[in-house]
Amino acid sequence: MNVAEYISSGILEAYALGELTEQDRVVVENNLAQYPELRTELLRVEEVQEALLMQAAIAPRKALKENLFQKIEAQKPETKVVSLQADQSNSNFWRFAVAASVTIALIASYLAYDYRDKWMNSEGQLTQLIAQNQRVAEDYNQVNQRLDKIESDLKVVDNPDFKRVVMKGTEGSPESMAYVYWNESSKEVYLSIQNMRELSKENQYQLWAIIDGKPVDAGVFDNNLAGLLKMKAIGNGAAAFAVTIEPRGGKASPTLETMQVVGNVVKG
Amino acid sequence: MEYLYDNYSGALYGVIFRILKKEEIAEEVLQDVFLKIWDRFENYDATKGKLFTWLLNVARNQAIDKTRSKEISKDQKTTPIEKVVSRIDSEEYIEQRIDGIGVTEVLKVLSTDQQFVVEHLYFKGYSQSELSEEFDIPLGTVKTRLRLAMQQLRITLGVTT
Repeated sequence: MNVAEYISSGILEAYALGELTEQDRVVVENNLAQYPELRTELLRVEEVQEALLMQAAIAPRKALKENLFQKIEAQKPETKVVSLQADQSNSNFWRFAVAASVTIALIASYLAYDYRDKWMNSEGQLTQLIAQNQRVAEDYNQVNQRLDKIESDLKVVDNPDFKRVVMKGTEGSPESMAYVYWNESSKEVYLSIQNMRELSKENQYQLWAIIDGKPVDAGVFDNNLAGLLKMKAIGNGAAAFAVTIEPRGGKASPTLETMQVVGNVVKG
Repeated sequence: MEYLYDNYSGALYGVIFRILKKEEIAEEVLQDVFLKIWDRFENYDATKGKLFTWLLNVARNQAIDKTRSKEISKDQKTTPIEKVVSRIDSEEYIEQRIDGIGVTEVLKVLSTDQQFVVEHLYFKGYSQSELSEEFDIPLGTVKTRLRLAMQQLRITLGVTT
């Protein structure tokens, strides 16, 4: 299409004046959509037309306006009610939508907070449970170990092969008492404290077996042991056991002045 | 709606009154036009033209329809030229209501042929085909004369687009 020719035919002026038939108008509208320069030219024509008719304006009587708007008001209930109601329900819808979305947002953030709170709580509870579980397991192990110890101690105590040697307090410590369980054939020696006083950190108790009148080292121990403590092996011929206080780690020969308890091996 | 009335009622009334010549009928038509605009405003499609163009088309069609109704006799349209002059005189009386230069001043810049076409199409309620038939001017000539007139008015009225 030759746009310049089309424009100079004056068809846009006819269009702006509302002169065209329905069919011709559709053709022009299609062309307008297709050719931007047609649109621009139409706008010019429309503006000239508007300016001309504004120039030619005649103000209607003022009463006419009032009259007209009274009529429009009167028409409103019949013709505009539907759209007004639609508007209202529409605005109601939006009001509802806004309220709903605010509510949803509030609920969602509350739930998020709540779930986070609960999650944090359960996280904390889980940590506590794990710790508790560990403690229980440790306790159980301890108890189990103690039980094992008691069982093994009991085997010693209950075993007729072990001779119990009761060591009583000497003059320097009459309250003290300790037992030795000695299996002569297996040479095993166990110590059990009944009552021994507390020592300074530098010192330890040392157990001696008296064999042929001579003290033989049977190992050192602290006064805080529970149950039986396995000492060094002592073979045949021990006539008595005694405990002295010695520097930590023990000595090769006992310091007799510090003897706390002593007891003879009962024959038979 | 009140905005539309305040801005465009004068221009539309100018068109309607010039076509119908009688104040009471013109007022009635102007009311009908605005009621129609009020009723069909959702029909306005900005992609098809300016708002004023749409308003003008409603007003002009309504006024032309009125001239074809029984209330206005056809002969008023076909008044001989000499009577048109007196009509323009009465228009000048009405134009005293508005400020500024009357539209007749503006139209003086046009050639007689162009002035004739603009007057008949915009202010006398002729359609292009009526103008062509009654004054024996080819329809194409009516269209091109209007186009040339509008181009001249564009300069005169200082439309800058």
